[in-house]
Amino acid sequence: MLAELGLPAFCVPEALDGFGLRVDVAASAAAELGAALHASPFAGLTASAHLLAHCAGNPQAEQVLAGVLAGERVCAFGYLGAGDQVARLVDGAPDADALVLLNRARGEFLLLEDPADWTADSRRHGFDLTRGCADVTPAAGRGHLLRPSPEAARRAVDLYELLLAADAVGGVRRMLDRTITYAGQRRTFGKPIGGYQAVQHRLAEHTVRARGMALLVTEAARLLSAEPTAADAARQARRCVATASLSVSSGAPHLLHDLLQLTGAIGFTWEYGLHYYERRAHQDARLAANPRHAQRSLAEVEGWTDGS
Amino acid sequence: MAADLTADTELTAGGPGGADVDAYRQRVRAFIAERGLPMDREGVRVPESAAQERQIRDWLRALYEAGYLGAGWPVEWGGQAGHLPVHDLVVMEELIRGDAYRPLDQVMLAAHAVIAFGSDEQKRELLPRIRAGEHIWCQLFSEPGAGSDLAALRTRAEPDAAGETFTVTGQKIWSTDAQWSDMGLLLARTDPTAERHAGITAFVVPMGLPGVDVRPIREMTGHAEFCEVFLDGLQLGRQHVLGEVNGGWKVVTSGLASERAFVGANAIQLERLFQDLVALARTARLPDGTPALAHEDIQAKLAAALTRVEEVRLIVRDTVERILVEAEHPSDGPVAKLAYTETNVALSELALEIIASAVSIDDDGAQVADRWQHNFLWGRALTISGGASEIMRGLIGRQLLGLPRA
Repeated sequence: MLAELGLPAFCVPEALDGFGLRVDVAASAAAELGAALHASPFAGLTASAHLLAHCAGNPQAEQVLAGVLAGERVCAFGYLGAGDQVARLVDGAPDADALVLLNRARGEFLLLEDPADWTADSRRHGFDLTRGCADVTPAAGRGHLLRPSPEAARRAVDLYELLLAADAVGGVRRMLDRTITYAGQRRTFGKPIGGYQAVQHRLAEHTVRARGMALLVTEAARLLSAEPTAADAARQARRCVATASLSVSSGAPHLLHDLLQLTGAIGFTWEYGLHYYERRAHQDARLAANPRHAQRSLAEVEGWTDGS
Repeated sequence: MAADLTADTELTAGGPGGADVDAYRQRVRAFIAERGLPMDREGVRVPESAAQERQIRDWLRALYEAGYLGAGWPVEWGGQAGHLPVHDLVVMEELIRGDAYRPLDQVMLAAHAVIAFGSDEQKRELLPRIRAGEHIWCQLFSEPGAGSDLAALRTRAEPDAAGETFTVTGQKIWSTDAQWSDMGLLLARTDPTAERHAGITAFVVPMGLPGVDVRPIREMTGHAEFCEVFLDGLQLGRQHVLGEVNGGWKVVTSGLASERAFVGANAIQLERLFQDLVALARTARLPDGTPALAHEDIQAKLAAALTRVEEVRLIVRDTVERILVEAEHPSDGPVAKLAYTETNVALSELALEIIASAVSIDDDGAQVADRWQHNFLWGRALTISGGASEIMRGLIGRQLLGLPRA
């Protein structure tokens, strides 16, 4: 269904039947999917597709990419642990039939194209109820090493992190709109709760903050889409992605949790559903090890860690 | 989401005015580097000596003569054909970037009101003197009982039977620059029976007239930027009325797009402040002798502060782009003001935390620290003046979120 809409192809070159590098559109789509609590591993799918499209001459990569673009295959994305060769927290792994795993220590990407080549354990990842997630252990000696261009490798990681942030922003906006509507309708002591400053002013604060988060994601997407002409384009992109990720991963869970308070007891019920968004925003942050990863990343690109 | 935005901090090649704006910016920057009057401390605008006052007036005149101020005025009054609102924004941004003395109300407050509402005689009388740095202006708006709720003002301008002269009695407060102003723009109630916005008239007041008593207020920063102004039996005539009698609310609430776009300059201000914050953390040494910046907890706080600065930068840019094409939402100004002023306070709180944690700061750093301690105190002026943050949140709640009046 996603493939019918062309969603996995936003960051795949036109020569390979994609849309080029439309990170802006991908970010908008991610926000919509987040708002809709969609079950697909969109961030990882988009990052994998971008990476596979930049592994020139690799037949396995070509095959998996073709399957993804045709909507016949689902490729998830994750990080191999440093010591134990287990990829923890792979979004979409339970339903995926291909995996791209980054070994950060070695700077290598491993492509697994046969579900028989790994085991997935999702027992510890039940908090986010809207998407499947698992720890993945690849079978020894299986899979293919990918050799993407360094640029594509960097960008795939940036894409993954940014689209997770976009997902959370979509959820924040949907729930903020819903809470504002509710605050205008729900009455207590003879007037809508949104007419009390204690509620109204917090909603105003959250609105400003949500606008800031959304603009940071948009700006990062714009920079990632641009042809890297400037010498420090990669640094600029990383800075922007880290800023957006830090803002969203530290802001979204807090904001959503306060919306629950502003909604009152009805928001605490299972059926009201705000908890789905809280769970998902937490998972979006966790999948990229944020906010700390973004924080350290920002400190590095800003040159604060040089020791000078 | 915003459409295809271009360039980084500033509006440049992709923005209104195109590549010309870049060239314009370079000219302004060079002019300021060569002739700019330095501004030592944020928010300190009142001269401390006659010599300094001369310098300020000369600098303001130089900006007008060079066409960097007042270019948007009608050509007959010194404006320039082909002027774009974005040019005014560029000038303000470069003044901040160059740490130069920035004109605010002194020569800008009255100009737009006189151009839009003044008689030909008032324009002839007042506009050239603004351009010459001869007239410094101040606001006579707020009162002890009317701050954020300006329309509650009670100062009376009582007309005589013929409606030719007005006797003004009342007290104004928080008038920036009043102690060295030549002219004041006064709001006073001429019809106490009318609905509260409708009975107010705007007047042009020569500050030297009998019945005007200015008393500076020493503020928590140690400076005296604001004044109380007592009006007791001040006599004004028809020639002092700006716009129509009882039409004063319109005079003060209309503003030029280019001046509303000055909100954009605040983004530059925050970016400069953030650089100052990093400089402070680099030079401030903790008890173990290491610079504050070398520590992860400080880096984490700086990273969080940087995300807020970047959020404000983009919020402001978004707002300015809408203002420049006259497509702004009424809540855009309040959103930008709230975001900018509150982030400014957050930065200064972090700066003071770093200073407090440090045992030694070198000589260069001491200057930065001194500036931050001043900013920490001054920053609260911004979250209160021009509509307090609480007013901004209420405006956002009503105008943007559609919630009922609290």
